[in-house]
Amino acid sequence: MGPIIITVLVRILETTLAIGAMGSVVVLVLSGIEDLQLLFGREEQNHS
Amino acid sequence: MSSFGPTSPSNRVRIVVATSVMLTFISYWRAAAIVLNDLASSAFYACGIAEQAVGKSAPWFIVAVMLFSFAVRAVYVESCSMFVRGGVYKVVKEALGGTLAKLSVSALMFDYILTGPISGVSAGQYIVGLVNETFITADVHGWIPGAVHNIFHGTPHLNVNLTSVVIALAVTIYYWRENTKGIQESSEKALRVMQITTVMVVILMAWSVFTLLKAGYNPVPLPTPQNLHFSRESLGFLSHSFPEQDIAKMFGLLGILIAFGHSVLAMSGEESLAQVNRELAHPKLKNLKKAAIVIAIYSFVFTGLSALLSVMLIPDAVRVPVYKDNLISGLAMYMWGPLILRLVFRAFVVVVGFLILSGAVNTAIIGSNGVLNRVSEDGVLADWFRVPHRKYGTSSRIINMVVVLQILTILASHGDVYVLGEAYAFGVIWSFTFNSLSMLVLRFKYKGERGWKVPPNITIAGTEIPIGLFSVMLVLLSTALVNLATKSVATVAGVSFSVVFFVIFTVSERVNRKKHALAKEQMKDHFQLLQSDTVDRGSLGIRPGNVLVPVRDYNTLNHLRWVLEHTDTREQDVVVMTARVSQFGTAAYGLSSEQVFSDYEQTLFTRAVSVAESVGKKISLLVVPARDPWSAIAQTAHNLESSAVAAGISSKTTAAEQAFALGTAWEAIPEPKKQFVLQIVQPGGIVDTFRIGPHTPTMKNEDVALLHRLWLNITREPGLENVHHHDILTEALTRFARDYGARDHDNIVKELGRHGADDGPLPVRRIADQIPTVQPQPTRSDRDDGPHSPKD
Repeated sequence: MGPIIITVLVRILETTLAIGAMGSVVVLVLSGIEDLQLLFGREEQNHS
Repeated sequence: MSSFGPTSPSNRVRIVVATSVMLTFISYWRAAAIVLNDLASSAFYACGIAEQAVGKSAPWFIVAVMLFSFAVRAVYVESCSMFVRGGVYKVVKEALGGTLAKLSVSALMFDYILTGPISGVSAGQYIVGLVNETFITADVHGWIPGAVHNIFHGTPHLNVNLTSVVIALAVTIYYWRENTKGIQESSEKALRVMQITTVMVVILMAWSVFTLLKAGYNPVPLPTPQNLHFSRESLGFLSHSFPEQDIAKMFGLLGILIAFGHSVLAMSGEESLAQVNRELAHPKLKNLKKAAIVIAIYSFVFTGLSALLSVMLIPDAVRVPVYKDNLISGLAMYMWGPLILRLVFRAFVVVVGFLILSGAVNTAIIGSNGVLNRVSEDGVLADWFRVPHRKYGTSSRIINMVVVLQILTILASHGDVYVLGEAYAFGVIWSFTFNSLSMLVLRFKYKGERGWKVPPNITIAGTEIPIGLFSVMLVLLSTALVNLATKSVATVAGVSFSVVFFVIFTVSERVNRKKHALAKEQMKDHFQLLQSDTVDRGSLGIRPGNVLVPVRDYNTLNHLRWVLEHTDTREQDVVVMTARVSQFGTAAYGLSSEQVFSDYEQTLFTRAVSVAESVGKKISLLVVPARDPWSAIAQTAHNLESSAVAAGISSKTTAAEQAFALGTAWEAIPEPKKQFVLQIVQPGGIVDTFRIGPHTPTMKNEDVALLHRLWLNITREPGLENVHHHDILTEALTRFARDYGARDHDNIVKELGRHGADDGPLPVRRIADQIPTVQPQPTRSDRDDGPHSPKD
């Protein structure tokens, strides 16, 4: 019974991590694009 | 009013409580430097700890953590863009309830308190590593005398862990003393440290690339379950249930998660971003994002790439056995080039490491002090802790408690960076987890203004689902949970620490609740709190040209008495202000008026009113939250159009130094601004008066004589009969400004520097002696004026 519970808990943790990691990659990409726009916007301002 | 008794509401004294902190705003570069002083210090120990726990593929996990820190940074940007009032406890309490809020603050405290010992011990490891290496090199060359050999029974060496403990204790005690005295956290200093660190990072990266090309490299095993090699310690409680090497293979992703959990301390310091937020210059959100970009890129390059390079360049045989606690020193020693050059660079690495790591010890004390101060303001720590130091006015009781805990931690660690790192990771991950969880809950509960949200968000049936925030929280939570199982020492230490703090907070809160209820009733009888976002004359109902009297210690109000005795309050208003100083580390959220006006301010103003009543005059009362009291005074005097500021003499500085500090703060106020007079009232009624802002300097007699002699000569020139003294001064200053700006800059600086060092006059006499004395023409209109200041 013990190993089964541990296995279930481990699988839950792994699933949590997998979902979270995928979502975090999206956060990374989207916020990275915003960062680039912010930096790019500043460049434009400097040139104007 | 000095003692409380029944008072009718109309007789209550009005106190204006400004709730916006008066800050000296800083650029995003400086903000990034402050955060990086904490965050980048992790690069000196994170990879060594991770490799001991998970094996040779550790650098990939450090890189993954640094990439994930981009997402965590987004959570902090969202938290900073919320305009909520109350300390960290109140905000988390709003989201998660009182119990979890107390646990969250306990985890944050654990994080802060551990920052000091791990940084101090790590600095010690780098220094001792260099000293021992120098001894070995000297011995190889036969430079060690035989007698020294006999003492050490071989090559001289220092006990690494023991000496590291001594160094960590020395650094901690030094900063304890400095913080008790009340040193200011300087963004300038942080910027300088980061500039020096950047020089080191650039050399490190460039030389590493050169070495890779010249000498090749060891491949870094990919972060797959097969390449993970956990030690018994790194499995913690799980080591009782599973054989060490099987767990990664049994649960592939779990192994990855465990390894990730052992590397998470690489992003410790990210939370400092929230603490510098309120000091960022306008436009705040844009500058916050820019600071966050700088921080993320810098820490990724330094911490992430140096971790990879250390495995690529340092041979396996020595990397962990010799350099595990001073990995960047090891990297310096395995560059391609002559030994002496490598040793010099290693010494540079150690100097930079000492600067940044000892700075982190200071940040830890300041941060812990700040958080506990704010927790005390939130009502969950007894006010006793915040009673100001009798001489320096700092919250020395909190500082003492923090430093005692840090010293105990250093002693208990026996100089073992790995143990400290494992414990530190507990505080870091739980602090991040509580923050992200609070932000997630506040997405649904907090309906106020929010400048930015972590993307992506989708709306289903009118409800916004924060997918990004939820994802980051899931990673943090799963890492925190797995760390509970795999870091047995950290879990036991962290949970014990949190329980102790939780009990202290709970008991304090109960005691405070009763005490504050009584104080609130008394305060309602005597004071009427008027909340105001900004400080202006309208909110206080005072006239321009008033006198501003800053007060801090209720035992030293002599200057207030002096002002009241010398001011006709029918003609000129007297405003008594106290700056509620929020130190670095407390500024993540704003204060509510009750937090700004605490028991201490109540006692202080009761005494001030008592002094005013004894003189029979009326005063206005004002409380302003501030980071720097001098900035608060200068800005308040500016906003209230005060003609004078009357302060008491400081126990720490001279009257001239106080005037200089206020003058510097005045310079930071944007134009247009008015000058005012600063009066420093000393015991016995002696008053030093200074003009703040541009003013005619006091001229020495010999300067006046020189000017007059020049004027006498010049007016003898044909066509220059009508030249005045001030014309000569204008010409002289114009020429001086030109020379200072261009050709003679260095000489002028040297000359003035010598003058400053000698504290004597510039060689006026010498110059004056070279100018022949002339007899003034009897027809000159100002002939009889004699030498005088150039007012004409």
